[in-house]
Amino acid sequence: MALTALICDDSLLARNQLKKSLPADFDASITTASNGLEALAVLRSQEIGIVFLDLTMPELDGVGVLEAIKAEAMDCLVIVVSADIQPEMQKRVMELGALAFIQKPASAAKLADVMHKYGLI
Amino acid sequence: MTELRFTEEQRDCLQELINVAMGLASDKLARYLNTFVHLQVPAIRLVDTEQLPEHFASRYEQQSVTMISLGFFGDQGLRGETIMLYQLANVDVIAKLLGYSNDDSSEAEMLTDISSVLTTTFLNGLAEQLENSFSYAAPRILSSRDQHFADKLASTAEQWQLALQVDIRYQLTDYSFNCDMILLIPGEAMMRLRLILDQFLASF
Amino acid sequence: MQLDWLVQPLLTQLNTGVLVLDAAHNIVYFNQFIARRADIQLSDVSGRLVYDIFADAPKAWLQRKIDGVLALQSPAFSSWEQRQYIIKLPHLRPVSSGSQHMAQNCSMLPFKAPNSAEQFVCLLIEDATDAYVYQQQLQHSMAQLELANRTDGLTGVFNRRHWQHELGQEIQRAKRYQHPLSLLLFDLDKFKQLNDQYGHQGGDAVLIELSGIIAALLRDTDVLGRYGGEEFGVILPETDMAGALLVANRICAAAGHQMLFNGHYINATVSIGVSSFSGQTIDELIQQSDIALYNAKRQGRNQAVAWQQQPETYLKKVK
Repeated sequence: MALTALICDDSLLARNQLKKSLPADFDASITTASNGLEALAVLRSQEIGIVFLDLTMPELDGVGVLEAIKAEAMDCLVIVVSADIQPEMQKRVMELGALAFIQKPASAAKLADVMHKYGLI
Repeated sequence: MTELRFTEEQRDCLQELINVAMGLASDKLARYLNTFVHLQVPAIRLVDTEQLPEHFASRYEQQSVTMISLGFFGDQGLRGETIMLYQLANVDVIAKLLGYSNDDSSEAEMLTDISSVLTTTFLNGLAEQLENSFSYAAPRILSSRDQHFADKLASTAEQWQLALQVDIRYQLTDYSFNCDMILLIPGEAMMRLRLILDQFLASF
Repeated sequence: MQLDWLVQPLLTQLNTGVLVLDAAHNIVYFNQFIARRADIQLSDVSGRLVYDIFADAPKAWLQRKIDGVLALQSPAFSSWEQRQYIIKLPHLRPVSSGSQHMAQNCSMLPFKAPNSAEQFVCLLIEDATDAYVYQQQLQHSMAQLELANRTDGLTGVFNRRHWQHELGQEIQRAKRYQHPLSLLLFDLDKFKQLNDQYGHQGGDAVLIELSGIIAALLRDTDVLGRYGGEEFGVILPETDMAGALLVANRICAAAGHQMLFNGHYINATVSIGVSSFSGQTIDELIQQSDIALYNAKRQGRNQAVAWQQQPETYLKKVK
């Protein structure tokens, strides 16, 4: 079965940037969400393998999404992609179960590196 | 001047570019100042230059405010001016932040220093993403504690068609303070900015 | 067209100082602008620490700035308005300006060598002495103008406009802090006669002398102003009615002595009206002193009278 990915960011540009930066050999169907609540709705209704998650968003932020994923024991991997790179925040999201933390704008090389490491490509 | 407005796509693009520029700037500043810096940009707002003085006058009410301007020029006709507004109650925090003891620097010098550090690191981050580069004019104090800054802001803003208000909150490990940054962009450069944003968007 | 040949003569002729330092703050290059003014040769000081060569530069401050430029890879600036100069250099107008040293605007720019990671900082030093001199002159003129704007040309005490402004401020202060405040209005007795007898110059001389005598009696915080022709006012902060009457009587006594003018002794006396602040507006307070002053005149002049609520005195004002 092909992998399914969710890109969650309130910025259209950021979603497009990320889509474009994903490795060419990453064969997945991609869904998008523009805030945390939308993201949770998708996660609850579909099988999602990997989430690319922004932190600063309206309605529900990235941390809130991570907490829900943990609380509901959802079976998905999360890579945080954020401009907010404060060390405390990195530590917090890693503790909440994020796989990796990538600084915006996410470079294609960095994405490929991380995804390769976790066997996603 | 409705033609100067952004489309929702352009606004979204600019907001994201600014968020990332702030992230880049905070990273650089944290390393330079040897303390944790968090620059947060809740939202950018396009403000009518006519409303600008009133907006800030009511925001600061009777408090003493120092206003500092820094001009920037880039390729492709991109240019503008940043205005930083500081409440004077924050001056001590800024001195500590810059590592100044009471030795040798006046209040005016500290404020121009922090302004050039904050604006140029931020604008460099913005230019980098647009594959542009900016050169800067030296920061100037437009008004200080004894002058009415709203009047001064009115006469400065008059020359510009568009003002982009970016509220910045600087948080540091040991201190925090607020200041406001306003990006002023003249009408012509605003057209160029829209073109640049469109080009940028088209690459996705 | 190959333009590389232009760079050297341009740097030499440039009317801006160019000083390049490496990441360790050692001197790498400077142009003729700096060489001639500082009287140094690049070959003699190349590779030396900038602070050793320009020993009176503000070292701690400059180090911090240059480190900032290197770390942030963004420019830093210094203006003569905040720091007159960074390195002491002579300027070309030593006679016409009050300062020996060149006022400077300085930009510090980050540079990277094209084929290595080596970093440099370039200091561009502009001569802002002219602006500095103009600003000094302007500040001096402004200070004079401001003083002229506040004072009465004849007597040198505050003019009516400024005095009333001060009164407004003192009323605000008294109200805010619930402190006492009193007001004297006084008038030279029989000034018209005096003018008729000795001429306007005689009258003027008395006004000048009187202002001096009274000013010498007052505290630094009291405010003396010329209210009209021969009428003066004194604002007495932190002073209640009893205290104000003491001051007023002292003024009467001091003014009552003879003054010498053109070989004549002139006898000048003053009448004073006293009021104290208890919530009135500025106009009401002045009016109360004015009524008291009228009563002092009516009761025989050369005396101080406190304002009292006496409706009949409103009838008519005669001097």
